[in-house]
Amino acid sequence: MIIGLEHYLVLGALLFCIGFFIALSKKNAVGVLIGVELMLNAVNLTLVAFSRFGTAEVALSTQVFVVFIIAVAAAEVAVGLALALVVYRNRQTISVDRTTLLKG
Amino acid sequence: MSDFGFHLAFWSLAAMTIGGASMIIISRNLVHAVIWLVMSMLGVAGLYLTLSAEFIAVVQVLIYVGAISVLMLFAIMLTPRAERDNSQNIKTAGPAGLVVIMVMIATMWVAIDTDWGAVREAALTEQARLIGESLIKHYILPFEIGAVLLTAALVGAIALARQDDEDAAVHAASLQAELEGDGSVDPVDVVDPPLPSDGEAGS
Repeated sequence: MIIGLEHYLVLGALLFCIGFFIALSKKNAVGVLIGVELMLNAVNLTLVAFSRFGTAEVALSTQVFVVFIIAVAAAEVAVGLALALVVYRNRQTISVDRTTLLKG
Repeated sequence: MSDFGFHLAFWSLAAMTIGGASMIIISRNLVHAVIWLVMSMLGVAGLYLTLSAEFIAVVQVLIYVGAISVLMLFAIMLTPRAERDNSQNIKTAGPAGLVVIMVMIATMWVAIDTDWGAVREAALTEQARLIGESLIKHYILPFEIGAVLLTAALVGAIALARQDDEDAAVHAASLQAELEGDGSVDPVDVVDPPLPSDGEAGS
């Protein structure tokens, strides 16, 4: 059996679903951020697989796209963790279940 | 023989990636979850190497394994009195699992069923040079916007996380009192919501 594009796509889909479940179900804000990072990684893996197996004109642009996604992910984590610190300073918790100020 | 090596690399790296990600779901300790995330990220970096994307693999190790995981550990260490508990929310885990299974079926079906066209044999060579050239030629506008975004995120994160001096003094005093086991003088405790007992399990 030759390992081709489908193997990487299925792996990326599996990783995305695991990250999605973590992001939806974890109680802790840092746990939710871990899930989001896993989802971004799965998308990057899919893009790099298309870069390797796709046509020549997509080979370069997908890799540039991955570089941009990594840069935006780094910015997102920095701001997200700073927000978690501010919530902790005001509420002494970073559990997403217990930050319910907007609950009616 | 090299085919066998490639198979071995792909399946072991895939097991490392999916195994690390699954251990994040199972792990009850947040610090352990970040360590499993590092393992999963390293597996993805290895998969980039099997796809002959060396530049992206190195960037992955530098940024995800090096910077983002350390940033997450810093955030955990800087919230010492929050729960270290990494468990699932019982109420949302069931519906979330249902949604995720539906998404999984849809994406797997698309990935396997679609005819993705001709498979290219040769990989891209000289990637670092080509990516750099296209970043400052074809993608110059997104590149500049990315620079502005990173600067704004840096300034925003510092502005959010910065403490006023008197706040910092009160915080440090309460932490010091807690570390010395002296529960009597702790001004922060007055506004503390009661912590659940199971939240302290992993700390």
